[in-house]
Amino acid sequence: MTSLALAEPRSLLAHHPLGASTGYMSALRGDWPTLVRQASVFSPFAVELSVLSEDEIEGLERYLASDPPLPFRYISIHGPSKGRAMSEPALANVLAALSTNVQAVVMHPDTIEDPSHFRALGRKLLIENMDARKPDGRTVAELSAWFTALPEAGFCFDIAHAWSIDDSMTVGGELLDAFRSRLRHLHVSSMDADLHHVSLTEEDEATFAPLLGRCTDVPWIFEAPPRQR
Amino acid sequence: MTTPLEQLADASGVDFPNLRKARELTRDGLASRRETLGNLESDDDVAIVLMGSWGRAEVTSGSDDDFMLLIRGDERTEVRPARSDVEAILDRPPGSQGIFGEPVSSTTIIERIGLEADSNTNLSRRMLLLLESVHATRQDIYDDVHAQLLDRYLDQSVKPQHPPRFLLNDVIRYWRTMCVDFAGKEREGPEKWGLRNAKLRTARKILFAGGLLPVLECESRTKDEMAEFLATQFRMPPVDRIAMSFIKHGAIDQGARALTAYDEFLAILDDEDKRDHLNKLTRETAKQSDVFGEAARLGKELEIGLLALLFETDDLPKLVREYGVF
Repeated sequence: MTSLALAEPRSLLAHHPLGASTGYMSALRGDWPTLVRQASVFSPFAVELSVLSEDEIEGLERYLASDPPLPFRYISIHGPSKGRAMSEPALANVLAALSTNVQAVVMHPDTIEDPSHFRALGRKLLIENMDARKPDGRTVAELSAWFTALPEAGFCFDIAHAWSIDDSMTVGGELLDAFRSRLRHLHVSSMDADLHHVSLTEEDEATFAPLLGRCTDVPWIFEAPPRQR
Repeated sequence: MTTPLEQLADASGVDFPNLRKARELTRDGLASRRETLGNLESDDDVAIVLMGSWGRAEVTSGSDDDFMLLIRGDERTEVRPARSDVEAILDRPPGSQGIFGEPVSSTTIIERIGLEADSNTNLSRRMLLLLESVHATRQDIYDDVHAQLLDRYLDQSVKPQHPPRFLLNDVIRYWRTMCVDFAGKEREGPEKWGLRNAKLRTARKILFAGGLLPVLECESRTKDEMAEFLATQFRMPPVDRIAMSFIKHGAIDQGARALTAYDEFLAILDDEDKRDHLNKLTRETAKQSDVFGEAARLGKELEIGLLALLFETDDLPKLVREYGVF
């Protein structure tokens, strides 16, 4: 059964809490004080600190070690999906150490070689559903294996990735049905023809509304700047 | 008939194993306590009422047997059964906090609402009787006092199709009192900080939301309907009142997640080692505790579900805005 909480489309920006991913602020990459300041201007309640490339981790480690005053009530770290050089156990250890004062660590399943390395993250680990370019982690069947291997892990629902698999959003609905009680936060954006995250379009906002209405309790993290309204 | 929690489980496909287990423990324990306590010699105007986790139907292995000796009528100090007689039967009698175990007059809790005479203890007893209690003996007295208390709240100030503000204000006042008292207790000493804090984030929120939601739902009812509706609601465990609200407002997913978090918190309470660990934590030592961190996360997940129900469904946000702040 699905929720009808959002029978009528309502303003996306009326949701609370919203947050920005620092991943889309590519011009500021590595400048953590400025990235965090920009993200807090968008929303002081939630943020995703993205280290999409492994070489960004050291800078984030130094920044968080300086114990900066962060306004956010929900902080996630997006683990690296490219530029991988560290051994997987070493990466898992670094992420565990980084996550002491954050609520979640998001990983792409296709970047995980051995799930057991990440078990120590427990409930903080979130597995994200993948887009149509990826060979794994896209559907209920594919993700189920990851949650079997990582029973404590939560679910990060990337609504645009689900759209890239099935623009009727049936697959997205199936993901929410199957991993309902694991859901911890959302990634919100649209995707361009090359399946890169871009600002959420008006059309996609309407398409996504029924599924967004099922997720009104969790933080929504913008993977691209919100469009001008 | 299925309970609202079972309906939510059916609608969402999510199981709540620890809540189910706690309900079974409550049901079995209540049956045995009713039998043994019913054999005690008793004054004709006294009922034994079980409170706390008994009233929430959430008894776990570490639950206390918090009880009240409820007198239908005026105050007196000597009652039968005596506190010691009841304590001799119960497994874990209440501590010396002063809220539980003493004879409590219905006149006092019903007539002294507000002003100087409504002490912190009186407020707590009244709210716990209303929101999370169940009779162990003399259901007739318990039901009668409950009805009188509701009648007192639903006085001449109540308007049809408006949540009853007098009751609403007392429910909100009690929640805020619990929060302020938490800080007051911390100032008195660091003992039991971890368990008290974890419960404030979870079980106390369930208690508050389980009172707030039915009162807000009175908005569509006449005064007579409110009395019947509230009496029916308060006979259910708070989790059922909350589950019912999630279902009514079409927030099945959010309800499933919120109550899954609470279900997992009950598993912590049911684990003797974890409960003892929480009990020994101070504000400082809690920072290094994985168990406390887990309880805090579960409390947050429960909270965000309840906030989504109150602020991101179709009807409730308007009611919260209209009645919840001023």
